[in-house]
Amino acid sequence: MDFVIDNIIIPLIKIGIVFGVLSGVVALMTLAERKVAAFIQVRLGPMRVGPHGILQPLADGVKLMLKEDILPAKADRWIFTLAPIIALVPAFIVFAVIPFGSTFNLFGKTIALRITDLNIGLLYVLSISSIGILGIILGGWASNSKYPLMGALRSAAQMVSYEVALGFSIMGVLMISGSLSLVEIVNKQKEFGWWFVFLQPLGFILFFVCGIAETNRAPFDLPEAESELVAGFHTEYSGFRFSLYFLAEYANMIAVSAMAVTLFFGGWLRPFPNVALPGFLGLLDAPLMGPVWFAIKVAIFLYCYLWFRWTWPRYRYDQLMKIGWQWLLPLAIANLVATAAIVLLFVRKG
Amino acid sequence: MAQAETLFDASELTVSMGPQHPSTHGVLQVKLKLDGERVLDAECVIGYLHRGVEKLGEVQTYGQFVPTLDRMDYIAAVSNCLGYCETIEKLLGVTAPPRAQYIRLIMTELNRITSHLLWLGTHAIDLGAITTFLYCFREREEILKIFENYCGARLTTHMFRIGGTQYELYEGFQDQVRTFIQDFPKKVDEYETLLTENRIWLDRTKNVGIISAKDAIDLGLTGPSLRGSGVQWDLRKAKPYCVYSEFDFDIPVGEVGDTYDRYLVRMEEMRQSARIVSQAIDKIPDGPLMAKMSKIIKPPVGDIYHSIESPKGELGYYIVSDGSTMAYRARVRPPSFVNLQSLKKMVAGHMVADVVAVIGTLDIVLGEIDR
Amino acid sequence: MKVKRRDLSLIKRLFLVDLIRGLKLTFGYQRPSANYTEQYPKERPKIAERFRGAPRLNNDPVTGETLCIACNLCALACPEHCIEVGWERDPAGKKVLTTYTFDVSRCMFCGLCEDACPTPCLELTQEFEMSLYGRRDMKLDRKTLEEGVQPVIYLK
Repeated sequence: MDFVIDNIIIPLIKIGIVFGVLSGVVALMTLAERKVAAFIQVRLGPMRVGPHGILQPLADGVKLMLKEDILPAKADRWIFTLAPIIALVPAFIVFAVIPFGSTFNLFGKTIALRITDLNIGLLYVLSISSIGILGIILGGWASNSKYPLMGALRSAAQMVSYEVALGFSIMGVLMISGSLSLVEIVNKQKEFGWWFVFLQPLGFILFFVCGIAETNRAPFDLPEAESELVAGFHTEYSGFRFSLYFLAEYANMIAVSAMAVTLFFGGWLRPFPNVALPGFLGLLDAPLMGPVWFAIKVAIFLYCYLWFRWTWPRYRYDQLMKIGWQWLLPLAIANLVATAAIVLLFVRKG
Repeated sequence: MAQAETLFDASELTVSMGPQHPSTHGVLQVKLKLDGERVLDAECVIGYLHRGVEKLGEVQTYGQFVPTLDRMDYIAAVSNCLGYCETIEKLLGVTAPPRAQYIRLIMTELNRITSHLLWLGTHAIDLGAITTFLYCFREREEILKIFENYCGARLTTHMFRIGGTQYELYEGFQDQVRTFIQDFPKKVDEYETLLTENRIWLDRTKNVGIISAKDAIDLGLTGPSLRGSGVQWDLRKAKPYCVYSEFDFDIPVGEVGDTYDRYLVRMEEMRQSARIVSQAIDKIPDGPLMAKMSKIIKPPVGDIYHSIESPKGELGYYIVSDGSTMAYRARVRPPSFVNLQSLKKMVAGHMVADVVAVIGTLDIVLGEIDR
Repeated sequence: MKVKRRDLSLIKRLFLVDLIRGLKLTFGYQRPSANYTEQYPKERPKIAERFRGAPRLNNDPVTGETLCIACNLCALACPEHCIEVGWERDPAGKKVLTTYTFDVSRCMFCGLCEDACPTPCLELTQEFEMSLYGRRDMKLDRKTLEEGVQPVIYLK
């Protein structure tokens, strides 16, 4: 009985909570994007559906589901339907290894605030995020049309190039923490008393820039921009399938933000994690505050995503690829070499 | 559309950036010959918005033709009106009274600001800076409110009549214009903060769409596109019309002739227009609004060409009169039509994404090109 | 005057100065309380007094008779030939207006008819909500013009 509760029921509950919260956040992001864009642009955004537009995601969802389901002639029906799912699922399963908090006790059971703790967590995340690219290529291919195919290939090429720089940029964190497990990385940050962003500032900037390029957001969103000749891989999609791609983009954004927070900003730790707080402020150290700190940090990152999109123009495709290969990759490798030198000389010696 | 046997075996692909496209600023079709991502050649197909304006000039009387001309360059309608009224006045030999000329000048310069704001908004949004569009339209709204208060319409204004202006200035006009002009340079600074030194903008617009001064003059380019290439030619200073000679303003000129230069020229022109308006608004003389002339306009037999500096370039009118109340021929020299010819030269060798930037920088209005 | 071409120095490039300045500007704008939004169609938009909207024939406020003297100047002034004036002579020899049609579907709201009218009879009002269901309804007759286009009832 204990075995069943420990290994089946509790994980199922955790999965349910994480999945539910994630879906809710993704839906809320669609509204947040419009509201933040509106506030930056001196207007109000959705105001009609519900007070201050709160129910807008619901209306959008209903609309997209009721739209006519268009399938292009000669398009490969199964792959056409499967592609958005392949793009969406990896973004969700990344959250299986991300720690939301430490552990706490409930009815005598120690419950860890994470779904699981893989000791190759970082590797898992990198490999899963590469699967999402497949969803885009298949979407463009299955549309059986020239322009979506070209758009899909460009988008995929962009994502693959920035994956390389992304991988290199987090090597520094790996070296300092000495472990691939995300839980270990956060615990090491607690041990050091400093978030890794202070030890690896360049690594963080590179990671975030590559993350923006990975998710095809401005200023790297040429493959899906409207004013381009090639309208992008989701030209032929409409209705529910289009909404899946749409949600996949937001879920990817949340995944990248969560990774940035976990690797560089201390995950569920509060600022100055080793400084003891007096009196009732000690509540801020409670185990259940872990997810709250995590949520605040992820929200700030998501806001930055929106902020960047609505402020800056976008890069041309060849400039985009040039930045990925000629600037970010060498900088990431330089960061790696420098970190390795410092770790070898100063840390291991002592 | 592809003239290749297999999908990827295209050594030369002809793609039509068709009449329905978010960035061609109207119904313009650009047939591009591509080699991969590089543009080899571009051919423009126009005529999708032809409405027979010049023919209407032959069946409407001179006074009735003025509102039809508003629909030509619908963004800078006041300039169209000014050019035509001045042409007919020259043909008739009358001059508008000074008060009317000052009002005309103020409204035309405000219209220049409006047109450049719309250009900036659409150019920025084509290149991805979406917020600039909304900021420009906020400023534009202020000017359009002034226009609405003055003549009753925001876009197709029909402000002037042959011989002067019809409408008297409304109560509060000077205050409204002064408030706007005082705030405006700060707003232009905001657009510059967002774009002028932004590395992404510099990468997208520097050395894109270069045209040399000699090529520009050979192709008949006029307006800010010509001044971006380094040629100091502005009809307001070269052949002053209206009362421009009484005001103090500079003509911004570029050096290289790329998109970035044209952008800088137009931003500076907005500031200079604000400068002209701030000088003029204090000096409006009193007097009548219409010159003394007969109600029925019957010019003597003859022809005349007169041009003004509209926000897009040199807008010219060639009127042939046969002595009756309707023109024998009313020909318009639209600046965008002549400027569009340089698209081929500007775009050759660039990428597809740059075609969008170049069309934006030429500042074309299809209503004017097709008439 | 020559325009100043900008170039980013190395320091500016390294520290992302230009990008951060843009971000600061857009961040500073986020005050929804400072916006003014006209909630059309719930509230009536502000229209200028001289707005050239739907046409209207005015009657004398005291006697209730039409002010139109059937001079036909508006029909002659119109570039689109939208107006048709019907008149007859009364026993005293004065012109009296019988029918008056105004084709709103062809009108471009230029205001030349309003300028031409010697009396305060023809005016272009501030009504712009003139949607109708068919083209024949757009040829407004004298009765509709004298009543004026009915305004929509606003909540505010």
